[in-house]
Amino acid sequence: MAFIEIKNLFKRFKKVVAVNHINIDIKQGEMLTLLGPSGCGKTTTLRCVSGLERPEEGDIVIDGKSMVAKGFVQPSKRGIGMVFQNYAVWPHMKVFNNVTYGLKLHGMSKQEVREKTQRVLDLVDLNGLEERYPAQLSGGQQQRVALARALVRNPKVLLLDEPLSNLDAKLREKMRFEIKSLVKRMGITSVYVTHDQAEAMVISDRIVVMESGNVVQIGNPQEIYEKPANRFVADFIGTMNFIPCNITRFLPDKKMAHISTDFSQDILCRTPDTGATTPGKQIYASIRPEDVQIFSEPPQDTANLFRGTIAHKAYLGNFLFFFVSVNGTMIRVQAPHHLPHEEGREIYVFLNPQKCMILF
Amino acid sequence: MSRGDYSLSTFIWLIIAFLVIYPLSILLIESFKIAETGAFGLGNFLEFFKDTYYLKTFANTLFLSALVLLTTTVFGIPLAYILARYRQRGKTVFTALILLPIVLPAYAGVFAFVIFFGKFGTLNLLLMETGLIETPINFIYGLHGLVFIQALHMLPFIVLSLAAGFTQIDPSFEEAAEVEGATGFRRFVTITLPLCTPTYLAGAVIVFLWPFTDWLTPLILGKVDFLPSVSYINIAYHFTDTHRKYMGIVAVVVSSMVCISLFLLARWWVERKKYTGLSKGTTSEGRVIEPSPLIKTGAYLYMGLIAFIVLLTPIVLGLSAFSRRWVFQPFPTYWTLDNFRVIFAESPLLIRNSFLFSAAALLFGVVFGLPAAYIIVRTKVRGKDALDFVITLMLAFPGIAVGVSYLLAFWNTIPLATHWIIMPLALFSRRLPYFLRMAHSSYLQLDISLEEASEVSGIGKIRTFFYISLPLLIKGVLVGVVMFFIMAFQEISTAIFLYRGGWETLPIGIYLNWHRGMEFGIAAAMAFLMIVITFILLLIISRIGGGILKAAWGPGSR
Ligand SMILES: Nc1ncnc2c1ncn2[C@@H]1O[C@H](COP(=O)(O)OP(=O)(O)O)[C@@H](O)[C@H]1O
Ligand SMILES: [Mg+2]
Repeated sequence: MAFIEIKNLFKRFKKVVAVNHINIDIKQGEMLTLLGPSGCGKTTTLRCVSGLERPEEGDIVIDGKSMVAKGFVQPSKRGIGMVFQNYAVWPHMKVFNNVTYGLKLHGMSKQEVREKTQRVLDLVDLNGLEERYPAQLSGGQQQRVALARALVRNPKVLLLDEPLSNLDAKLREKMRFEIKSLVKRMGITSVYVTHDQAEAMVISDRIVVMESGNVVQIGNPQEIYEKPANRFVADFIGTMNFIPCNITRFLPDKKMAHISTDFSQDILCRTPDTGATTPGKQIYASIRPEDVQIFSEPPQDTANLFRGTIAHKAYLGNFLFFFVSVNGTMIRVQAPHHLPHEEGREIYVFLNPQKCMILF
Repeated sequence: MSRGDYSLSTFIWLIIAFLVIYPLSILLIESFKIAETGAFGLGNFLEFFKDTYYLKTFANTLFLSALVLLTTTVFGIPLAYILARYRQRGKTVFTALILLPIVLPAYAGVFAFVIFFGKFGTLNLLLMETGLIETPINFIYGLHGLVFIQALHMLPFIVLSLAAGFTQIDPSFEEAAEVEGATGFRRFVTITLPLCTPTYLAGAVIVFLWPFTDWLTPLILGKVDFLPSVSYINIAYHFTDTHRKYMGIVAVVVSSMVCISLFLLARWWVERKKYTGLSKGTTSEGRVIEPSPLIKTGAYLYMGLIAFIVLLTPIVLGLSAFSRRWVFQPFPTYWTLDNFRVIFAESPLLIRNSFLFSAAALLFGVVFGLPAAYIIVRTKVRGKDALDFVITLMLAFPGIAVGVSYLLAFWNTIPLATHWIIMPLALFSRRLPYFLRMAHSSYLQLDISLEEASEVSGIGKIRTFFYISLPLLIKGVLVGVVMFFIMAFQEISTAIFLYRGGWETLPIGIYLNWHRGMEFGIAAAMAFLMIVITFILLLIISRIGGGILKAAWGPGSR
């Protein structure tokens, strides 16, 4: 039984459809990420869950209670905490007042307020800064205030909209882990919005990839990376070589197929899990740069092996990056950094059939 | 720093020294001069602060300021909120109407309201005709009328500054409060209003200073115990009674000190508390609310009421201008063009003078303002911040201070006051910051790399200015020019001290007609004429596309 159900959610702004009939189930205690390029409807989805936005159609169910269909439930009545992209820490209030604002509104005793606040400030490591104004805090600290404010009322659900996007790179990486361990420790169900795939990989139990208002794929980070549902997901998460191709014939088990490309011979490739292919639609043999191997001399096995020329070479510290031209098609290759090959040299590239997949 | 910039800056400073620093210093020095002996000392100030009358005047003025600020705030908050947040039809029209008083001369409103709300004015007569009242109600003569008229004149400043706050604050601040459980009024009071304080204050200080500047409204309403009116009466009516004259000068200096201190205090505070720049990062264009039908109706009624009161000024003046002998009747009965005939036939000089002086002041403004803006925005010349500061400070000076100081400074030692050129010069220095601010903000928007690209390609600084900068600046500059012209055209506080026979302008004509013979018809016709001219100029601004609001507000907001 899902803890949060997003059912057939539809929201538009005048003519722009921001969220197009999407369905997502979120389990209790799960950390779910909405991932996608800017403008794909992540924020709008999150705001519909929070109640800051009213969807035109569909329903949000939190802990078994309908939030929209059976009368609109105000944000404050949904048992949620929210961290905004720009923190939205009120600049005219001290840290302490920022955090306790909601508690006071809910008629808690002074003693209780102080204890709860102390606990949450401990949790986010802000002790001793209660009397500071936000302007006297660093970006990272303001972020923690926002987090403390969202957590102090023990919400059932925590919503975070790109909470790290305004921090510098180093701090961002550190905070990913901190937020994850904090939320996991408290066992809160959370929805996290980001456009940063690396962040999504680190922080999520499951990722929802969105594209222009639609859900394209839902899965854990490994599934998303290794079995992307389509070209869009594969391209958005990590790097992928796409080689336009046609299927010549399937192997008997239908799990693999021979495909023809501009290359000298057919490529052996994994077929999509769904099995069927849509006729008439361009398909691509796809393989990640780290799954391509380079050889100076042709090895024994000659399946999926092609001659190519090194067009560019870049040294990236922990590995080398090559652009190899195979019959005029550029293939990106990530290789261990001890390979001595120079630009212009002829080599052999091996496309591992188990890692090479057909995508639309 | 190039030598050209340096000499330009020197040139600007010389002008400032001659037209601002010198006269204002003379004003200050004169205020220490003891009338009886001619020696210098603190005597005048001691007397001023010991004399119960002057003290009372001072307190009255502060009290009036507080009342005007309170009134504008109470009426302005809902108005600004409606304009900034509600989605409704006709918003642009209502905005324009409600902000109208900014561009109308204050004294025009006074005459209109006296005619409409006076003892035997339209409203009282109508009420008596319908039998609702027996004897006329005193709507306007007295403190309440004064507060009403001044508050209405200053309302746009509060509305604009609050509306700016309401639209500028990041929506997520309020949304966060909503998630935390604060709804409606509570959220408004704990989050929205406090976040608007910096922008509010920028407008509030301008409102608060108005009673320290406006000498004419109290005079017309017959309540003169306020600093500017007392200064005016002491200096203009009792020029021969040197003692009273010096007390008047002291009153001017005291007013100026109050104005400058409050102005600087507000600026300092606003700088310290700037919230709006703190965060910005959402997609939405600010919070726009779809109000419920009931609230919407209320909002319309409220806006309609304010718009009606604002529109009374041009309507009543129009009626009065085209009629004669409009007394003891709710509406005029005898229509005529006589008033205009009198104006055009007997004193075309007034119109000519008004245009001549304003145009000359404008010329000074451009010649001074563009280089000054250039120095302040584009160069690193030493003392440019001081330059900016001094010029901005002129925003706070009461017009009466400029007028009196010119009278004192350019009479004997430098006898400039015997030539009509003193009039445009005074108008120019009174409105110094307005044009500069406009040029300034256009300059800030002009990407410096456009100019640099031109200079790199071997075109000199001066030609770059004319070929690249000026064409790109021209829009903002033109709007500034027209706005400056409107300001100069309406100026009375400064001019009233300096004019001599033959130099009268339209505003002075209005004042004299009222003052000498209670010739309301002609005064009203003149005021109506000014409103028409102002409207035409505003039309030009909107044609240029600068936006009337921006033009009117741009300078004051800094
Ligand atoms: N308040 C709004 N008014 C109009 N359009 C909006 C509003 N909020 C979002 N949109 C539009 O909806 C789409 C989705 O926006 P959003 O959910 O903010 O995307 P994301 O968070 O994924 O970047 C975008 O095309 C955006 O322009
Ligand atoms: Mg977003």
